[in-house]
Amino acid sequence: MAKLLLIEDDAATAEEILADLRGRGHEVAWVATGPEGADATRSGTWNAIILDRMLPGLDGLTLLRDLRGTGDRTPALVLSALGDVDERIRGLRAGGDDYLGKPFVLGELAARIEALLRRPTDSRETVLRVGTLELDLIAGTGRRGLRDLDLLPRELKLLEYLMRRPGQVVTRAMMFEEVWNYRFAPKSNLIDVHVGRLRKKLEVDGEPILIHNVRGEGFTLTPDV
Amino acid sequence: MSRLVRSFAFRWALGIALWSTLLSLLLFAFVYWQTAAFMQDELAQVLRHEARYASGDPAKAAARIETWVSEDLHSVHFAGLFGADGRKLAGNLDVCPPELPLDGEVHRIGTQVSIAGRRLHEELWSAARSLKDGTVVVVAHDTDEIDRAKATVIRALGLALVPTLAFSILGGVLLAGRAKRRLASTEAAVARVMRGDLRQRLPVGEAGDEFDRLAQDVNGMLEEIERLMEEVRGVGDAVAHDLRTPLTRLRLRLERGREQARDIGELREAVDQGLVWIDQTLEMVTAVLRIGEIEHGRRCAAFGPVDLGLVVSEAVELFEPLAEEKGIGLSLEVDGTMPAIEGDRSLIFEAVSNLLDNAIKFTPVDGRVRVDLGRRGDLFVVSVEDTGPGIPVDEREQVFRRFYRAEPARQTQGNGLGLGLVAAIAKLHGFALAVTESSGGGCRMEVLCPASPRG
Repeated sequence: MAKLLLIEDDAATAEEILADLRGRGHEVAWVATGPEGADATRSGTWNAIILDRMLPGLDGLTLLRDLRGTGDRTPALVLSALGDVDERIRGLRAGGDDYLGKPFVLGELAARIEALLRRPTDSRETVLRVGTLELDLIAGTGRRGLRDLDLLPRELKLLEYLMRRPGQVVTRAMMFEEVWNYRFAPKSNLIDVHVGRLRKKLEVDGEPILIHNVRGEGFTLTPDV
Repeated sequence: MSRLVRSFAFRWALGIALWSTLLSLLLFAFVYWQTAAFMQDELAQVLRHEARYASGDPAKAAARIETWVSEDLHSVHFAGLFGADGRKLAGNLDVCPPELPLDGEVHRIGTQVSIAGRRLHEELWSAARSLKDGTVVVVAHDTDEIDRAKATVIRALGLALVPTLAFSILGGVLLAGRAKRRLASTEAAVARVMRGDLRQRLPVGEAGDEFDRLAQDVNGMLEEIERLMEEVRGVGDAVAHDLRTPLTRLRLRLERGREQARDIGELREAVDQGLVWIDQTLEMVTAVLRIGEIEHGRRCAAFGPVDLGLVVSEAVELFEPLAEEKGIGLSLEVDGTMPAIEGDRSLIFEAVSNLLDNAIKFTPVDGRVRVDLGRRGDLFVVSVEDTGPGIPVDEREQVFRRFYRAEPARQTQGNGLGLGLVAAIAKLHGFALAVTESSGGGCRMEVLCPASPRG
């Protein structure tokens, strides 16, 4: 699996992240300070870097900016304590590929790392196919097998997002950010209701399930054949 | 000493004294100059007249000179009639002063005179004219009188200067002292505020001058600070209270799970329930922090043109399935086209979402939630109205305060922060909020956006 570098100064947080990501089969190295992190980015090859915004010795964003300055494009996810939303913009400007505010659910981090590792394939594709599911982005039509799907514009976008990531867990926050393009944690079960509606259109009369609910994490679209 | 010199009061006193002294000196100089000039003019006219009169008729010149001299009781009149050869013909001047021009004008000269047989040197104001037969008439007057008068004026003015100076210093000290006393009481009040007593107010006088207005403004500021402090304290208490309830529940649930779970499944169930409560608690903490962050106005980096119509319709679209699931009719009416306004689209979306979330939460099954977007004068109005229980009139002001929950809301889940967040977002954007009753007897929330918010 992937080789990951975690730069996080809080040992308890790091321990949980390590246990979770290792449990998912990743190989994760951990360093606790900025300078150590900078050394590790230089000496090793990593599939992705997870780094805290505030690090002893060297600020996380400075580290990231330096790294990008050397032309290193390793995907990086910035972790940050709550309380500053402009922080997100700063994190992304410094060269972060994704940003996650603390506190977070481990499933959310894992899903986002997974997304970074599997950068969407070819986004120029205009016809997506997953199992018996087919989506024509130009015509704006979808089919499951021979059955035409009657999809609303937002449902089309949601399905496209899921179909570009088959077998990958996507969280509610990721969907809200990418499909609705707004950034805050929507309350209650809003996203679930939207996914539920989509599922009703995709899975009729005992057809095999396409969109699975991953408990405590999010949803995943799996091929039916 | 240097503290005294630096002191406002001392400098005021000194300044006032110096200024009034300078003014008095100017006034004195003017009075002196006018007095002296007047006396000299008077005398000069008399002398010019006498000289012309005496020289008018050569035959009577000697007699007229004698009359001028004899009219004088104080030995201040002098005159002389001198022959063409300079010999004295009449009068009490011994010699014709050689430097005196014979132009009939008045000049100040020093010459030899004889008074009661004694020869003296005198300073005189004199006028001289020559007669047709070559004789010269000199009419003169002692300078002592005018000099003495001038000296008297100067002495009087000089004497007056002393009390003037004294009074102006006194006035300065009094004025400055008054200012200083006002300052001192203000200073004392400020010092108490600095020590943390925010209930302290600056003394405001009755004069209504700049000083009083300043004190009033500072008092207004202190009131706002006190209000904010109270609010912070209130929020702190509310947070602590709202945290204790779920944490207590959590503790009990975990304890029971640990003691009584018979298998791993039951233990998981207890932990899962615990996680739900922790998430709710974290959600509340997040909301409190977000409100704080938005209120501090730190979130302006994302400001840009926002299509209000699009944002509102997307929010309605997001909630549509939820409303449908609950059997609530959700509708959107957009009146005309909406130009872009300046703001943070994500925050505006969040605010509208919170209003919708509330409306749907409090509307019973088969109710309606209606969103309107229209113009009212210079304002764009986003309104969300429902057919729920509504908010009592006397509670409408308070719903936007953090942690406030109207009575019907206490039965439903929520942390009382949703509308607080709406209020914070509205404040950041310069929007106004209004709560009224909807046509269906429910609640109507309005967001009033100026056409060009934030100036």
